[in-house]
Amino acid sequence: MYIYMLWMRYLKARRQAYICIVCVMLGVATLIVVNSVMSGFSTKLRNGLHDLQSDIVIESTDQIYGFPYTAEAMMEHIRRSPAAEHIRAMAPSVELFALAQFRANGHSWSQQVRLVGIDPKYQRQLEGFSEYLMQDERKTNPSFELDPAALHHYEWFHPPLRPNQVGLIPNQPPAPVVADQIPLPPLKGQEDKPLKKLEELPPIDNTPLVIQKPHGIILGCALASTRVPATPTTPAHDSFFVDRGDTVAVYTLGSEGFEPVWDEFVVCDYIQTGMADFDSSTVFVPLDRLQRIRTMEGRVNTIQVRLNDPTQLNQVKKLLQNLFPPDYVHVSTWEDKRGVLLAAISIERGILNLLLFLIIGVAGFGILAIFSMIVTEKTRDIGILKSLGASSRGIWSIFLGYGLLLGLVGAGLGTALGLLITRNINEIEQWVGRRTGKELFSRDVYYFKEIPTNVNVQHVLLIIAGAVLIAVVFSILPARKAARLKPVQALRFE
Amino acid sequence: MLTVRGLHKTYRRHSVEVKVLQGLDLEVRDSEFLAIVGASGSGKSTLLHLMGTLDQPDSGEVLLEGQRIDNLPGKIRDQLRNQTFGYIFQFYHLLPELTALENVLMPAMIANSVSRWFGNRKELRRRATELLERFGLGKRLKHRPRELSGGELQRTAIARALICQPRILLADEPTGNLDAENGQDIVRILRELNGRDGVTIVMVTHNMELAAGCDRIVKLVGGRVENPRVEAALTA
Repeated sequence: MYIYMLWMRYLKARRQAYICIVCVMLGVATLIVVNSVMSGFSTKLRNGLHDLQSDIVIESTDQIYGFPYTAEAMMEHIRRSPAAEHIRAMAPSVELFALAQFRANGHSWSQQVRLVGIDPKYQRQLEGFSEYLMQDERKTNPSFELDPAALHHYEWFHPPLRPNQVGLIPNQPPAPVVADQIPLPPLKGQEDKPLKKLEELPPIDNTPLVIQKPHGIILGCALASTRVPATPTTPAHDSFFVDRGDTVAVYTLGSEGFEPVWDEFVVCDYIQTGMADFDSSTVFVPLDRLQRIRTMEGRVNTIQVRLNDPTQLNQVKKLLQNLFPPDYVHVSTWEDKRGVLLAAISIERGILNLLLFLIIGVAGFGILAIFSMIVTEKTRDIGILKSLGASSRGIWSIFLGYGLLLGLVGAGLGTALGLLITRNINEIEQWVGRRTGKELFSRDVYYFKEIPTNVNVQHVLLIIAGAVLIAVVFSILPARKAARLKPVQALRFE
Repeated sequence: MLTVRGLHKTYRRHSVEVKVLQGLDLEVRDSEFLAIVGASGSGKSTLLHLMGTLDQPDSGEVLLEGQRIDNLPGKIRDQLRNQTFGYIFQFYHLLPELTALENVLMPAMIANSVSRWFGNRKELRRRATELLERFGLGKRLKHRPRELSGGELQRTAIARALICQPRILLADEPTGNLDAENGQDIVRILRELNGRDGVTIVMVTHNMELAAGCDRIVKLVGGRVENPRVEAALTA
């Protein structure tokens, strides 16, 4: 009984105890806040990676040629297989490297891009596409249609054609120029050739104009814009130098692999996912158009699959692998594709946690020092207790239990503090930013509007357990010293 | 009741040996008020510590009711110190964070586990309060040691020594830190405990006046009892 009584009394009375508690509290709070923020970032990154990659991807082994089957045949084959019950949606696409040539402000430049031909009506059933398009109407109803303003902009520079005029259809020889109608002075050496008479001129063409429907292209927003940092008057924003209605020429390889193919597309919208490498290198074009110019009508080189239950990746992967010969078809999960990055994230997190636990280790040394001080101060009292019949074991438990108590109180307070800071991290960041004049969490660099946090209850419990354990372990040595004191010498201690 | 035979105790400090007790024999009788006197450094306190199992002799025996207690396992010796012996020190040795009442209750708290404590709490509190009131500290129950005077502190210590109803009180210079009046007070209390309640008391003192009021005086010289035959003759 005296043990418990002394715990409470020593906890209240000794000021050094408060320092120990604060040590543990700060360590625990730091660990919780840092872990929550890291977890928030990494969850966001993981979701981002997963988002842009469908659960399972079926690719052809020959990326340039594509599958030797039609997309419809393949999807029907999958629908009839045992894998079908796990699958929520599928979308065929052609994904290829390409060169995109842009023209703006009198400059033209080219860039390597990842060209993805998609069918919006399939693609919207998957995640990771429509919600990232920038025009609001397209988020719910994705398409490659130009909105009226963009169409107007395009037609300004590309007036509609008559049927016998040249359209941008590849691999066709240019039509004869109408300039023959205007009489030119005869060329040297051809003065004897008669000039054409006005009656012989061909009639004026009154056939109706054919509005050539332009093919839309959706650009990754970083391809078409730069990020303008915040000024005192304006917030940070993107400044677009390629507008909707501007043209982009795309060059890639045909499906036979020998000839280059190209086409001119018109920008209809941008896609902004928040993932830098995606936004700066990906462009989307209509699948049928891409198939046509690459002479692979009906065929694709990728089928994206979205599952009902995202945790069943590997089972469904196996089911799909059984459907097609591995010589032509390769099935991977999103984790396979992005595995390296995910592994890097978790290693980083592991190392950071280790380092942070060292902080609590430092708090532990603080406890060791302070406890040793307390034991020295209390040497006489320990002698008194022993003379009154307290056992060595009892003295052990006084100090060990004291360590446990300090650890618990410190960890409890630390958890409360840590959770409080985590919940209000954005307000705190803004307050600090206002005070110091510097933005701590630069909105220029990150697309997040707020600092992402993710409090994992398991981790918090682990942190608390670790802190308490350290507190107890570091009170072992002082407790041992106390228990070993001889009553007479202890009583004589000044 | 309490016998020591052939006690030897040597202290070693920085390769200097101090032979404090050199073959000491002594017997304490039941309900006796024994005074141990001697020059400073003659080993009086050491003898008291050995008698109360606060320390262990280099050689020799300590017997309580004919049974050896100096070589008992630690746990049993702890129990003896808690239940059988009561200690009073020159410097009081009260725990500073506890109130007077809690200090008095401390031996009982050591004796009782949590469950037993809650069962006996009322009875023990009553007994502690009674003891303190008996020694004139009824109004000082909730005071901390730093708020009490020397005499009050020693009286609290005596109350603490008595809470578990010990068979024998060991007092090491109980009046050493007190003025004459307070000192007399303490000795009066001790005498009352011995006379009225029959508590055996062994008191170490260098004050011959105080020793004079005791049943028997034993003088330590050269680590031994002086003239044991003479002393035996006196009590015969």
